[in-house]
Amino acid sequence: MSADMTLTHAATVASQAGSYLWLIPFLPFFGFLINGLSGRKLQSTKVVDFFALGSVGVAFLLTLWHFVQLAGLPADGRSIHQSLWTWFSIGGAHVLGGMTTYKIEWAYKFDVLSGCMALLVSGAGFLIHLFSTGYMAEERNDGRYYRFMAYMNLFVFSMLNLVLGANILMMFLGWEGVGLCSYLLIGFYFEKEFAAVAGKKAFVTNRIGDFGFMIGFFLIFQVFGTLDYDTLMGSVRGIANMPAITLYGHTASPTWWFNLIGCCLFVGAMGKSAQIPLYVWLPDAMAGPTPVSALIHAATMVTSGLYMITRLNFIYVNAPVALAVVLAFGSLTAFVAATMGLAQYDIKKVLAYSTVSQLGFMFMGMGAGAFSAGMFHVFTHAFFKASLFLGSGAVIAACHHEQDMRNMGGLKKLMPITAMSMILATFAIAGIFPFSGFFSKDEILWKVFEGWYQHGHYTGPALNLVAWILGMLGAFCTAFYMTRLIAMTFYGEYRGAGNDPYNLSVQSEAHHGHDDHGHDAHAHAHDAHDHLENGLHELDKPHNHRGDDPEDHDIVPGHHPHEVSWRMWLPVAILAGLAVVGGFLNYPESLHRVLPIVPAELFSKWIEPLLYQVAPIHHGEHVPPAMEYILMGWATFVWAPGAMVLAWWIYKVDPSWSRAKAFVARFPNLYRWVNAKYYVDEFYEAALIEPIKRFSAQLWSFDTWVVDGMVNGAARATVIWADLSNWIDQKLVDGAVNLVAYIIQETSSVFRGLQSGRVQHYAFVMFLGFLVFAFWKFLA
Amino acid sequence: MFTANTTLMLVATFLPLLGALVLLLVPKGQRRVFEIGSLLVMIVSFLMSAVFWFGYDRASDAVQWARAWEWIPSMGVKFSVGMDGISLLLWLLTTFIGPIAIACSFKSIEERHKEYYIWMLVLQTAMLGVFITQDMFLFYLFWEVMLVPMYFLIAIWGGPQKLYAAIKLFLYTLAGGVLMLVAILAIYFLQHKTTGGYNFSLESFQAMAPVIAQQSKTYQILLALAFFIGFAIKVPMFPFHTWLPDAHVQAPTAGSVILAAILLKMGTYGFVRFLLPILPGATKDLMPWFIGLSLIGIIYGALVAMIQKDMKKLVAYSSVSHLGLCMLGLFALNPYGIKGGMFQMINHGISTSGLFLAVGIVYERRHTRMIADFGGLSKSMPIYATVFMLMTMSSLGLPLLNGFIGEGIILMGSFQAFPWAAVVATLGIILGAAYLLWMYQRVMFGPITAVNEKMEDLNLREILYFAPLVIAAFWIGMYPKPIMDVMDAPVRKLVEQITPGYHAAQSLAAQQAIAAKLGMRGMEAPAQQEVTSEGHEAAPATGHEVPVHEAPAHGGGH
Repeated sequence: MSADMTLTHAATVASQAGSYLWLIPFLPFFGFLINGLSGRKLQSTKVVDFFALGSVGVAFLLTLWHFVQLAGLPADGRSIHQSLWTWFSIGGAHVLGGMTTYKIEWAYKFDVLSGCMALLVSGAGFLIHLFSTGYMAEERNDGRYYRFMAYMNLFVFSMLNLVLGANILMMFLGWEGVGLCSYLLIGFYFEKEFAAVAGKKAFVTNRIGDFGFMIGFFLIFQVFGTLDYDTLMGSVRGIANMPAITLYGHTASPTWWFNLIGCCLFVGAMGKSAQIPLYVWLPDAMAGPTPVSALIHAATMVTSGLYMITRLNFIYVNAPVALAVVLAFGSLTAFVAATMGLAQYDIKKVLAYSTVSQLGFMFMGMGAGAFSAGMFHVFTHAFFKASLFLGSGAVIAACHHEQDMRNMGGLKKLMPITAMSMILATFAIAGIFPFSGFFSKDEILWKVFEGWYQHGHYTGPALNLVAWILGMLGAFCTAFYMTRLIAMTFYGEYRGAGNDPYNLSVQSEAHHGHDDHGHDAHAHAHDAHDHLENGLHELDKPHNHRGDDPEDHDIVPGHHPHEVSWRMWLPVAILAGLAVVGGFLNYPESLHRVLPIVPAELFSKWIEPLLYQVAPIHHGEHVPPAMEYILMGWATFVWAPGAMVLAWWIYKVDPSWSRAKAFVARFPNLYRWVNAKYYVDEFYEAALIEPIKRFSAQLWSFDTWVVDGMVNGAARATVIWADLSNWIDQKLVDGAVNLVAYIIQETSSVFRGLQSGRVQHYAFVMFLGFLVFAFWKFLA
Repeated sequence: MFTANTTLMLVATFLPLLGALVLLLVPKGQRRVFEIGSLLVMIVSFLMSAVFWFGYDRASDAVQWARAWEWIPSMGVKFSVGMDGISLLLWLLTTFIGPIAIACSFKSIEERHKEYYIWMLVLQTAMLGVFITQDMFLFYLFWEVMLVPMYFLIAIWGGPQKLYAAIKLFLYTLAGGVLMLVAILAIYFLQHKTTGGYNFSLESFQAMAPVIAQQSKTYQILLALAFFIGFAIKVPMFPFHTWLPDAHVQAPTAGSVILAAILLKMGTYGFVRFLLPILPGATKDLMPWFIGLSLIGIIYGALVAMIQKDMKKLVAYSSVSHLGLCMLGLFALNPYGIKGGMFQMINHGISTSGLFLAVGIVYERRHTRMIADFGGLSKSMPIYATVFMLMTMSSLGLPLLNGFIGEGIILMGSFQAFPWAAVVATLGIILGAAYLLWMYQRVMFGPITAVNEKMEDLNLREILYFAPLVIAAFWIGMYPKPIMDVMDAPVRKLVEQITPGYHAAQSLAAQQAIAAKLGMRGMEAPAQQEVTSEGHEAAPATGHEVPVHEAPAHGGGH
């Protein structure tokens, strides 16, 4: 057992012991407990705000404090570790090389990667909590505000567990926890069928991913005998250099096993990070309130797949096939999801497909082996996408829960701060220099290209070239649909107030529910109105439309949206600001040579000690090839601006969108397929869900008629046999007995009183008699 | 005053029976007396049993508080009692569920109160007895006696088809019990043949394992099958499960709770206690079949649960699925699997009881259990929705709650033994999420109808009997170590009985400690790497070609 003792404490040797680390995740948890248990009884929702925002805010400050401490440590020892208690101690397990008695600790590890993620989660989390206090103002009066805030806190807790956990099981704890919160928050308006279904869809789809994740970490356990990051990192080089690994009687190279592990884990990442083919839950998840979309479905939860791959990069670096799979799926998703975004009219749907697509870009980076580039895109994307989502939330709130962009327009004049922030964020996502998206996306695309380019040899895998092309096309689409979104929403005339010269607005889906999604949005709005009419207003509201008839508020002439409260525009603006400047945190080496004032690759160097190195790194040794500058210039000066100008030309320059209409008329089928998201949902429904239901029904019939039928058949056979015996008994044997009985019956009326006729009494007396007998025997 | 000893153990076990005898004297109109009286008895019994949690010596794998009195000397039958960690946990689970089962009956039982509570108390003693006996004869006695009160609970207070269900339960499990008896007697006489004495003690039966191993294969297989079918019916494993949905659907809520929480555990307990240690060889021979049936149970139970229209039937089929997982863990025959299986027994006792209680709540209010009759209950019953959600999440194995601990360890354990089976079983967790969340969505979410709008939320009594389950779910989910410690030594012993020398394998602890110390420094490229021009020049995507060089010392043992 002494060896176990050293194991438990050894983990602290590679890292500093921290004593307040646990507070980072647990503060939001306390917030959740306080609000969840007592929120219903609290008179003022300001108290709910205090605990919800306070816990996340303090957690952010604490994260910052730890981060500063971390930065003060030597580069190869940047890790703070705290173990709270032993979570699992199961016993011995036979794994590769012998028996492990690994104990799974409830432990946290704050290092270069988890530190950044924790900053993002608590920081963006705080801003989005702040936004929610404005956005969810309507819920303050109907008694479910506390529930929303409690779920949000629980989410932050789970997400912090995911990133700060010191072993894979802790990550899995957070992994499932964020899934639960996502489920709860998507289905927050649970009385709407669609929201409830979307929540369930998200959970079940994620479970499919979890299946892969679980198999993946089972395999890791079989190979390494541990799930602890430190131990894994310490032993991986030894295992990767083994000549062969034999498990379950199967001998293969370590690369083979690492490929298997990597592919399994990637299935988990596909689920959580919404990659093809498991992305379908994310667009539906927009049924949740918009802050949820910003926090969970853009900035944090959906990036956990990326986090996991970066965390376990030592597996992937040794697993070329798994990396190729990641690259292939990532690039496919980046392109396909971007095309889906082209034809959506629901502002949140556009952003949802955009998120799927951007996640695809991140996976491309990972797949090209550029973990730091992929991870950097996680952060820049969190800034601009959270800003865009929150901005869209502000727009939706200002437009009375209208989500269809055809019914918006001209909002720039009405809500300038939101518009400006979103426009800046759009420049960032489109990858325009020097906004943050440029630095991260360009880096990814360059690394993918370089994998094929090979320093001018053009000998890399063709997959990299294909992926790069898909990525470029995806980037083009991204710039296009984002500009389209901006043009439709913020430019032109406001079309929501009956003023619609070009007949562009549609009968608000929010009203007639020919689309489930819109129906949901409407019902929400409708509900909110009812509650507003009943309730007292405690705080400034995003918009004031008390007394409106909820059925026609959109077409009341002259009823214009206006800028939302500071609780809402401030987070949008802060995030947009970060989206503008954030890119300089990972200023590429190539540009550093041009403009040496900005330090090069801060983020890459920061995260480098955590990445498995095949060869020693020498920073700044290689001269960046001319090709890098060419592609960089092409992407940011021609490609992305081209797409933006095109979209501007179609949707802004021509306010009647006649060019778009002409295109649709020219290619109706193309439009139909793109607009219907290639019928993927329908395909899953028909090819997977329905057959499973049918099969289940058949199984149930089988259960009823065959399995149970045999049981009942056996019983029936016995009864028939008994009847037969009974007949013989009654007619032949009993005839004689009955005669005797008749005589006795006549004489026995005295004893009848004892007999109550109840089976239970008899059985009970029998049982007692038996016990007395047993007890008597026992005494004797 | 209360120290964990044999006397207290017997008192805690027989207290419910004593209570039943006392209640027998109370006139039958006194409904409150029966309710409160039996509840008090159960609570006192639980409090007494709790002493054993603290008194158990976790370092020892011996049967503790063991004592035996001569009973029928001519047959070698002793009144022999005692517990090890495995039986202690199930014994505690029984005393824990007891008060909850009584408390949930106050409103739903509307007739013949006296008999009901007396039967409940008798049932409790019979179940507790099963877990403390160390004598096969006494075990069989308790095992069969337990059926009688259960029979009456279903047949009198059950639903429309109560007689069918009760008789089915009784006969089916009796048939299994008889098979088990045959196996017990066979070993008993074999023992007589080899040792010359008559002895029913469990220890002597387990000591027969090497002797049995020398018998013919057919003999061993038949013996194992007799045990297997006897226990498999009780568990129930596919294809012996069809009594379960009927019994659950027809039984009153408390009956379902006890059935799910305790009665089914008798079967799994039987596997752990008898089949695995007494017949390890034959078990391994039959393993493919056992695994197959467990897997079918997991997937089949989940799929059939998915399309049920009756909530109770859905939960009943989910039991088939969960118990299949439990059996898969036990059959992995390694510490992970067996501990996971044990955990799954406890967790299933908590979460499935919770689900049955939850179904009972709406049944009491609306007298229907059809999923289609509900919808949107979250609106009218928020506390209920929360509790139901917790139990659902616990049942589908969400980390932080108890279900995950069992499921996770079972899957890890079975993955060590037979990865493909574990992969199939892991698929079951997807289905688990699907059917439970689908039910939850249809019952709790969506638009609400007028009749459901009027449904009352949980009252204090209901909250109070859910509370222990919720607390236990969180406790096990977050800090299962104390429970693991209790079963540690007995499971170790059991694994050694099944696979001698299992724990003698070379320990990786030392080299893992070195690796842990190395931590992220293990990511750095080794210094002598400069030679390979390929690795230097290569783009990251192709940087995977690890140059061959000697493995660092810390990896040498792999």
